[in-house]
Amino acid sequence: MSDSQVKTHGVNIEALGRNRQQKSSGDEECSLEVKNLKLFYGEKQALNGIDMHISKKRVTAFIGPSGCGKSTLLRCFNRMNDLVDGARVEGAILLEGENIYDKSVSAVELRRRIGMVFQKPNPFPKSIYENVAYGLRLQGIKDRRILDESVEKSLKGSALWDEVKDRLHDSALGLSGGQQQRLVIARAIAVEPEVLLLDEPASALDPISTLKIEELIYELKNDYTIVIVTHNMQQAARVSDYTAFMYMGDMIEFADTDTLFTNPRQKQTEDYITGRYG
Amino acid sequence: MSGNSDLKKWFSTGTPWVWTSAGAVSLSLLMVFGVLALIALRGLGYFWPADLAQIEYQLDAESKIVKVGEFHEHEMVPSIQLREAGLYLPSDDDLVKRYLFKVGNRDFYGQDFRWIIEPSIGETSYPEHLMVLERHEWGNFFGHLLQVKESGKVVAEGDAARAELDRRMVRAMDLHDQIKTIEKGAIGSVNYRMEKLRLAKRSLELDEVTDPAPYGRLEEAKQELDAEYQVLMGQLNKLYEKSKRDSITVSDSEGNQKEISLHMIVRVYYPNSMGVFDKIGHYIAKVIEFVSADPREANTEGGIFPAIFGTVMMVMIMTVFVTPLGVVAAVYLREYAKQGPLTQVIRISVNNLAGVPSIVYGVFGLGFFVYFLGGNIDQLFFREALPAPTFGTPGILWSSLTLALLTLPVVIVATEEGLSRIPRSVREGSLALGATKAETLWRIVIPMASPALMTGLILAVARAAGEVAPLMLVGVVKLAPSLPLDGEAPFLHLDRKFMHLGFHVYDVGFQSPNVEAARPLVYATALLLVIVIVALNLAAIAIRNHLREKYRALES
Repeated sequence: MSDSQVKTHGVNIEALGRNRQQKSSGDEECSLEVKNLKLFYGEKQALNGIDMHISKKRVTAFIGPSGCGKSTLLRCFNRMNDLVDGARVEGAILLEGENIYDKSVSAVELRRRIGMVFQKPNPFPKSIYENVAYGLRLQGIKDRRILDESVEKSLKGSALWDEVKDRLHDSALGLSGGQQQRLVIARAIAVEPEVLLLDEPASALDPISTLKIEELIYELKNDYTIVIVTHNMQQAARVSDYTAFMYMGDMIEFADTDTLFTNPRQKQTEDYITGRYG
Repeated sequence: MSGNSDLKKWFSTGTPWVWTSAGAVSLSLLMVFGVLALIALRGLGYFWPADLAQIEYQLDAESKIVKVGEFHEHEMVPSIQLREAGLYLPSDDDLVKRYLFKVGNRDFYGQDFRWIIEPSIGETSYPEHLMVLERHEWGNFFGHLLQVKESGKVVAEGDAARAELDRRMVRAMDLHDQIKTIEKGAIGSVNYRMEKLRLAKRSLELDEVTDPAPYGRLEEAKQELDAEYQVLMGQLNKLYEKSKRDSITVSDSEGNQKEISLHMIVRVYYPNSMGVFDKIGHYIAKVIEFVSADPREANTEGGIFPAIFGTVMMVMIMTVFVTPLGVVAAVYLREYAKQGPLTQVIRISVNNLAGVPSIVYGVFGLGFFVYFLGGNIDQLFFREALPAPTFGTPGILWSSLTLALLTLPVVIVATEEGLSRIPRSVREGSLALGATKAETLWRIVIPMASPALMTGLILAVARAAGEVAPLMLVGVVKLAPSLPLDGEAPFLHLDRKFMHLGFHVYDVGFQSPNVEAARPLVYATALLLVIVIVALNLAAIAIRNHLREKYRALES
């Protein structure tokens, strides 16, 4: 595959155009700043000093082959790696200027500000309503009115409201995979985070559900800073404003999506996006 | 050669394995159903009214007697053995059939059962007028009804007596119920409150209260209760007086006469004149009595309600203790403790605890719970009752705790298993929303692990309900005067001793003065124990299936 083929084969030119437009308007405010981030699993180093910044209300995509560390990096943003035995982090990630790895920052508080959606839909075995209200209930909100409003708003925000509004109190496990994933997104945005981390959110879904999720990401970009990990380069090209290519724990190239896909500076990046990666 | 290879082929198809395993399964099923069928047959037959046979029995070459009774089991015995025992035997066969014949009338003959040999049995008939009296004392009476008397005067005789007796039995039963209500209910309650007052007074004395006011109040209350007691006793005496009015004269097959007051009679029936429907009615009445009434006559007659109640209650209290303890221990082991050699050792120890013989738990319960814990609780909180122990003696609380300890390993292992099966993704989903680990556990993980927990509880309940050995040391008794749950505050009396079906089987079967009479009761009680355990398990299984259904989609 050549560069031009990538563009025409699957990449929505119109979307790219729109991305570019949005980027040029408005200031590039920094939401997350990664400074020399290293991560070790026991003796093994998984991230070799990453530096990058993630722009506010933009979609940043991480691409790269399996095991390159893109999911690990994503999970550093909400300190999910804290839960892994033997994981150790060096360096810093600044959220609005504050180091999230600082001792004074509580991981629990942080996770309310940085939401996450996982690869496999993981609704709780509760009703649809209770799934969305879960985060709010954790914050101690009991007022039925506030919960009702928030559930409706979140489900509308994740484009699921029309499909489930008549069965809010049915089990969430009865939804289809795509619906479950949108429910999980609704659950994440119900607590109104600043950043939304998406870890291959569409990889377990069929093409139509994938399309819906991608459309949703366009919408969500208006309110949230989004970081997405994807295996699917076309998806990265379609939905993201910026793309980072990672390989073996290193950030090989980080640029706006248009540039990265059409005019990569690094040989490795070019090989990967054109399918010559071996 | 070809036969050999055919055989090999047959083996490689796996068919022999299917047959072997299917055979093993059917053998197991057969054994289980065999046990159940045996217990059920023997136990359920007990309630069926047997016909009363009137037989002529050859005592020796000249003398003959007439006996009335029920044929029970029979066996073949060598005639030499009987001859050597000095028995008259009008037969030359090597083997003689002998019957266990229930003659009843313990007041006349001393024992209910007698062995009789077939060759000596003469003419056998089933006269319709033969009567069975179930009595509160002395067991059953088999014989003839002669007269019905009121205050010593004969009011009916012969054929009219039967109808008259039926009429008067209604009144006698009614009076009996009233007496029972007063004795067990009202007077029991007064006694209980009196004891409370005595303890309150003793407690004041122990606290060295010198102010006479509280003593005065207690004295007042005591006098009130005394007055109440006198009134009740008056009522009771009158009822007794009334109930002694009627009596009947009966005679056994040998002509011995006896006058029996109606208030000593539980039930009168004439089995030989009963139709099938009468018998079914009688059967149902007996079964209902068995499961709902108190035992009589050293547990060999009447019902076993207190034992059913005690068993179920003890299991429930045990569940209340073992569930939180087991869950918390499992959560710590699986979720919080650092996995390493130490947790491994703990896990192995917990598993091995399940294999410790249950009597060892009983000894531990007696030493630790009853003497140490109970003794100290008495010293601290129930000083006024000493030297009579309150908790420092076997009771339902200590039994439940001992069994909770016994079943703890099962619950821990099952819960741990359940916790380990909860997918990581769901936990992470909760954590990513800003839940702490504890919140994730309580709101998501433990509810999802609850079917596994229920499986553990089912096993625990099954084991606990059938356990007898440790209970004999920590709380079970042959006959408990009151249930551990009643209308007196604080309603649940954890210090009381209780009756248990398993122990009841042992007691009736081996400790009874009247073994032959009690044997069918052993089967009936065993059947009931099985039914109670199955019912408890079914309830738990129903809950588990409901929970499973709820969380089903996540199993995949």
